[in-house]
Amino acid sequence: MTAPMLEIDDLTKRFGGLVALDRVTLDFEPDVLHAIIGPNGAGKTTLFNTITGMLKSDSGTVKFRGTDISGMAPHRISRLGMSRSLQIKSVFDSMTVAENLWIAAQASQGVMHPFANRSRFGRTAERVDRILELTELERLRDTPAGTLSYGDVALLEIGIALATQPSLLLLDEPICGMGPAETAATVEKIRHLAESVDIIIIEHDMPVVFDLADRITVMAQGGVLARGAPEEIANNAAVREAYLGEEEEDDEPDA
Amino acid sequence: MKARIDRTVLLAVLALLIVAPWLLQSMELEFWLDILAEVLIWSLFAASVNILFGYAGLLSFGQALFFGMGMFGVAIGIAKLGLGFWPALGLGMAVAVGTAAVAGALAVRLTWHYFAIITVVFSLIFYFIALSAKPLTGGDDGTSFSMPAMLEVGDFELSLTDQTVQYFFILSVVGAAYFLKFLIVKSPYGMALMAVRENDTRASLIGLNVYFLRWTAFVIAGGFAGLAGCLFALFGRYASATYMFYHVSGEGVVWTIIGGAGTLFGPVVGTALLIVVREELSNMWEHYPILVGLVVILTVIFAPKGLMGFWNALLDRLTQPPADRAAGGEPHEPREEAAAVQVRGKDRP
Ligand SMILES: Nc1ncnc2c1ncn2[C@@H]1O[C@H](COP(=O)(O)OP(=O)(O)O)[C@@H](O)[C@H]1O
Ligand SMILES: [Mg+2]
Repeated sequence: MTAPMLEIDDLTKRFGGLVALDRVTLDFEPDVLHAIIGPNGAGKTTLFNTITGMLKSDSGTVKFRGTDISGMAPHRISRLGMSRSLQIKSVFDSMTVAENLWIAAQASQGVMHPFANRSRFGRTAERVDRILELTELERLRDTPAGTLSYGDVALLEIGIALATQPSLLLLDEPICGMGPAETAATVEKIRHLAESVDIIIIEHDMPVVFDLADRITVMAQGGVLARGAPEEIANNAAVREAYLGEEEEDDEPDA
Repeated sequence: MKARIDRTVLLAVLALLIVAPWLLQSMELEFWLDILAEVLIWSLFAASVNILFGYAGLLSFGQALFFGMGMFGVAIGIAKLGLGFWPALGLGMAVAVGTAAVAGALAVRLTWHYFAIITVVFSLIFYFIALSAKPLTGGDDGTSFSMPAMLEVGDFELSLTDQTVQYFFILSVVGAAYFLKFLIVKSPYGMALMAVRENDTRASLIGLNVYFLRWTAFVIAGGFAGLAGCLFALFGRYASATYMFYHVSGEGVVWTIIGGAGTLFGPVVGTALLIVVREELSNMWEHYPILVGLVVILTVIFAPKGLMGFWNALLDRLTQPPADRAAGGEPHEPREEAAAVQVRGKDRP
């Protein structure tokens, strides 16, 4: 058994009276594509928000590759190699696609030279080219991100997250808003990415999850309902009852 | 092509600025040289607003505070401490940057209107301090001084008392500051500021220290405003608390917005235009600020990038091949399944 890359211990997050994360304890082992599923409001996004430092937890600890990152600022966690896409797509609107990727690639190296011209950072430029190719956004390279279609923004989200050279990528409903063709292509990309970077994906599209994931975590009402391989989850009575049975009502992208 | 036109215009303007003393003399318009010097100083001040608002996305109505600090640093240094020209300039800069470092550490914890309000509050506090600290600042009367020499070698003395020397001193300082601003804007740091301006949540998630970036921008902007204040004190041989008032800050904001926030030379264009308008209109029509206010509102609504935005759009139109223009800019591949919804990841107030 390999050591977990991400260890979540007794994590609690409350919003006023609402317990969004209720003493969650979870380990994620490396080299496995993890998926988190669960009905709307289960606390999946809150889990990502708390892990990445965007929200402060009320109690509990998070360890990333052995480093305690509880309470750490988002930019420091990011520089440790954890990167994420946001469920509510959020990019640098008035900057071009290439600039969006450029700043992400440069930021991860921590070099924010105040006087040297940007064209002098060859390695960053190479990285941008590679990610434009990977996300197939080359044709939109000089387009302002604020004018992209929904699906292209979703791709750019993933591209930005990748540009920071993460060792762990957290994807929050990355294919939400994509058409069937784009979805299929993106799922293939994620599968391909998983060969070089650890991935945890939150997704509510069940066929995608069961096709993609090696290991599924089911959340409900701020807690962990079940964990296991896709077959185990599909046959788990509690999961079927709490979640899979009512899948049809759950197509609305939540906030 | 576009870059070439821009460069040509820039060089032409620079050349005009360099020959201005002789040109204006030959036209018997010497007093315009002082107006030109004033325009240069105030465009440096507007650059300070622009660094914060145009690049870091922080609208400050308190930049006059650092302008005033620079002014008083120079004036008190010369009049009260008996400092020479350069040490006084150094004192003005140190006071302005020091104040900005402290004020910024508090102010950049806030954003949007809260940030704008706290910058006003800071400048009001210091305005009243400067008014009441009469022994140090001269209170209502301000502090005047007589100009020390800039350079003395034997019998040779260089001093700003010579109008032409003064003009070239101001021109070179402002020119150097704008060159520095150019370097900053084109650097990774400048891009990081823009990322913070666009989306601070996303910026922090890619590893940018948003607080630190905003604070450094605040300090740099404070330095620019302070330098403008130093120059203005030297130019007028005095310092006065009236220049710390937020009304002055507001003018910097107006000049920047009309010229084009987030563009390198927008503040120069806006400042030049409005100071000339003021010179020409203020004694003809006392309510001319109404006109200025109207222009600001129209600019904010119709031309967020100000006059420089118009200029850039115009050049784009002129230099872009007509075929591209007809296609409406970007060649988009038609894709049936992609929802053409425009996503705006606006998650801020
Ligand atoms: N910032 C917030 N403030 C208050 N309540 C929140 C906030 N974020 C999430 N919640 C609440 O926490 C619960 C879990 O939300 P979320 O983590 O977004 O669920 P999921 O991503 O699983 O759909 C929901 O009831 C949601 O309304
Ligand atoms: Mg969610």
